[in-house]
Amino acid sequence: MAIYLYLSLLPEALIASMLSPEEFGTYYAVGSAKKSRGQAMFFEVDPDFRHPYFRVEEAYERCVPHEDGSLKSSVYISVYRVLEHIDFDALMHLYLTTMDGRTLELSPSNQIPNGKEHLHLYQEVVPVSPMVVSRLGPMEFIDQIVRNPVSLVSLPAIVFTELQLGELADDPEMGLMENLPYSNRDHLRQCLTDVKTKYVSTKMVDRSHSPEVQYRTIKNGFFVGNQTHLRYFPMPSPEEIRINNYRWFRSANI
Amino acid sequence: MENYINWIYIAIGAGLISIGVAFYLYFWVLKQDPGTERAKEVASWIKEGANAYLVKLYRSLGILAVVIAFIIAIVFSIQPETAGGGSVTLQIKEGLTMALAFIAGSLSSAIAGYMGMRVAVEANVRTATAANFSLAKAFKLSFNAGAVLGLAMVGMAIIGMSLILLWTGTPEVVLGFSFGASVLALLAKAGGGIYTKAADIAADLVGKIEVGIPEDDPRNPAVVADNVGDNVGDVAGMGADIFDSYVASTVAVMVLGASLGLSQVDQVKYTVIPLILCVFGILASLIGIALVRVKEGQKPGPALNRGTIITTIIFAVFMFVFVYFADVNPGIFWATLTGLIAGVIIGFTSDYFTNDQYKPVRETSRVSTSGAAINIITGYSYGLISIVPSVIGVAAATLIAFYAAEHFGLSGIYGIGISAVGMLSISGMIVSADAYGPIVDNARGIAEMSGMGHEVIVIADELDSAGNTAKAITKGFSIGAAALTVIALFAAYSEVVEDAGVSIAISLREPIVVAGVFLGAMTPPLFSALLMLAVTHNAFDMIKETRRQFSEEPGILAGTHKPDYGRLVSLASEGALSSLVLPAILAIGLPLLTGFVLGPNALGGFLGGSIFTGVIFALLMSNAGGLWDNAKKYIETGKFGGPGSDAHKAAVVGDTVGDPFKDTAGPSLNTLITVMSLVSSLFAPIIAVFYLFK
Repeated sequence: MAIYLYLSLLPEALIASMLSPEEFGTYYAVGSAKKSRGQAMFFEVDPDFRHPYFRVEEAYERCVPHEDGSLKSSVYISVYRVLEHIDFDALMHLYLTTMDGRTLELSPSNQIPNGKEHLHLYQEVVPVSPMVVSRLGPMEFIDQIVRNPVSLVSLPAIVFTELQLGELADDPEMGLMENLPYSNRDHLRQCLTDVKTKYVSTKMVDRSHSPEVQYRTIKNGFFVGNQTHLRYFPMPSPEEIRINNYRWFRSANI
Repeated sequence: MENYINWIYIAIGAGLISIGVAFYLYFWVLKQDPGTERAKEVASWIKEGANAYLVKLYRSLGILAVVIAFIIAIVFSIQPETAGGGSVTLQIKEGLTMALAFIAGSLSSAIAGYMGMRVAVEANVRTATAANFSLAKAFKLSFNAGAVLGLAMVGMAIIGMSLILLWTGTPEVVLGFSFGASVLALLAKAGGGIYTKAADIAADLVGKIEVGIPEDDPRNPAVVADNVGDNVGDVAGMGADIFDSYVASTVAVMVLGASLGLSQVDQVKYTVIPLILCVFGILASLIGIALVRVKEGQKPGPALNRGTIITTIIFAVFMFVFVYFADVNPGIFWATLTGLIAGVIIGFTSDYFTNDQYKPVRETSRVSTSGAAINIITGYSYGLISIVPSVIGVAAATLIAFYAAEHFGLSGIYGIGISAVGMLSISGMIVSADAYGPIVDNARGIAEMSGMGHEVIVIADELDSAGNTAKAITKGFSIGAAALTVIALFAAYSEVVEDAGVSIAISLREPIVVAGVFLGAMTPPLFSALLMLAVTHNAFDMIKETRRQFSEEPGILAGTHKPDYGRLVSLASEGALSSLVLPAILAIGLPLLTGFVLGPNALGGFLGGSIFTGVIFALLMSNAGGLWDNAKKYIETGKFGGPGSDAHKAAVVGDTVGDPFKDTAGPSLNTLITVMSLVSSLFAPIIAVFYLFK
């Protein structure tokens, strides 16, 4: 019987499971017997992936059906500093599960957006979850956060997504912002104005923002980076999602 | 005179044609494809829930109707011999006739409502299935199904009134028929309103807000009760409501016509004229309904509005030709025209305040970014402003109809009554467009729950959006019509009291009248409060049960376990029915208590007070509720942050506050003031003689 390996982002954890990605998403978001609920984001990891930091074999041995024949939903392998020990080549697909348990699969792409000409709003997901604005494109942003040798503060690896800014991306001073879904929009405008007009390239908007993401606000997709790798998992367009994944489309309020 | 007696037979014929077409459309709907097994299964849950509620409702109402009929039979068997009271005679035949008329009114309204609901629960799944093919096909099916209620309602009403008039020759007995229809309407509308909003609030607050599942998701235990509510509240309830206004306005004018003090020929003529208006209204509605069509690529909303306007024009032409060739006082035509124009203007004014194309909804959406309190204050304020054009419309219609009739030598009050009948004559078309709304709403729910494709949902959404606009227009229309109807009923009440030999003087210089005005003005707010408290009480129980199911059975959300829909349907039914007792007693008991204790003048003041606050509260609550609902929907299109934003959360609060405003208390107030006016007119001859405060 197949055993899957998942890298959960909410919370950061490596999990072995007998459930397929869609089943796991539903279980993780709404189906737990412990009644824990909430949005889920997780990567499907190559089941042959091994790293000395993780006791994968031991977990696989425990990942067997229950006595009543039902499949084992989850065996937690690790819940701390997981991302930094993952080989990014082993990341197969990213799955986004809504609060009510509908799951969308994102496949990786080599066409990484640059977007140097615009301002950006980034929601970091793992390992910490601030919301920041920047005039750096996603690749430069990763360079600054993960690969900058002179920075006092850097992360070993990061998962983040870029959120929509509407007219503020080009015109933070005057752009229309009434349709943006974020709280404290005046502060957001000020932060964007600062990164546009002052020396700083990146500024924090909210230092303890919830790591849960309003999926409909995602501009392009998810970025995963460390010292050596950068992977990009683009979101399909709303129209594509509506046609191919109507349930998820409704559930995510797109 | 015989010519006009023949019109009563023609009225019966028109009623039979109307019911015949309704049956034809009903069987046509049944012949359409009901779709997949899954769709049929989902539809069967809604059908069973709706039928179970109606059976319980009609059983309770049947018992109540028998009790009231028994009281009527006794009271009307005891007739005072002289105006001053003193000795009485026993006239059992009169008592039994009035009781039978009452039962016939209740029964006719129940049958029309039942037919409408039967077709609605068959049409919803067929509309969803038709939406797999085209919007035009789905629209035709749902509109024809709505027309079953519209045509059955006007058919049953005109046949009932004509038969009683033919049988007794006395319009006062038709008041009994109208009273029966009104009592049923009051309870059907209020009960349906409590049911639908308690279920809606439970489904939304737990399903959408707490758990995060979308609208109409089959995992929500309250979703079936919510869809059942659309049928029992918006189909059976609204049908009974307009049936009641339609009959009450016609009867009021009949009573006024009979008391104009004309020759016997003219007396018969002016008694029968309101029925003639109904005949032309039915014919115009039949033509209008036949012309409502949508071609591929066209929008359904304009087609519905076009149908209403075409019906109005055809009816006006019929009336002009009738008045011109039948040697009828031209004041009748102008009064009718006034009512028609006022009805359309009031209807479309309501649309202005509840449509997201215009400032009130957009402004309420915009200020929602500052929180729920600002949303509520803004929506409430626009609701208050929305009273203005409608009240001016009613006031203008009242004055124009009055002076137009007087100008041509006709009683001004009779003219006002004719304007109400004119407005309501095209009810066949209006109700058809209104009943279309809950059918497409249900169709959308079935499409969602049975997993139909996104393209079906897109079509269902478009149909649903047109239904919401039609609903807003109908609400404004029915409130305007009720206002004019009760003015006519008020006049009829005075006539009936004076016919009993008691002169009536309703002056604000009389403290007893002022007391009556205050008591009457108090009643609509009190009635509204009782209904809304019933909604919150029932919603609270349903929320607890919905939470319990989600909590105790995680498989429901995972989609592996079917929720217990029946438990929520049952809670909604029992809660709604048990909540009706007090409002029903209030509606019937308070005017009688006022009349029998304080006398006919105070009761006149009571009716005046209740009419004014009733109309104002009805307009405020219907329009503010519709406005909050559409402000939330406007935000859900992505404006001001879209779903899940702070503005959306604020708008959800406003919408939840507005739910019992617009679908429970607001629409029930029309019926409340009609019931109170009718019960007063009906018991006026007795009250005129027997009251305490002499």
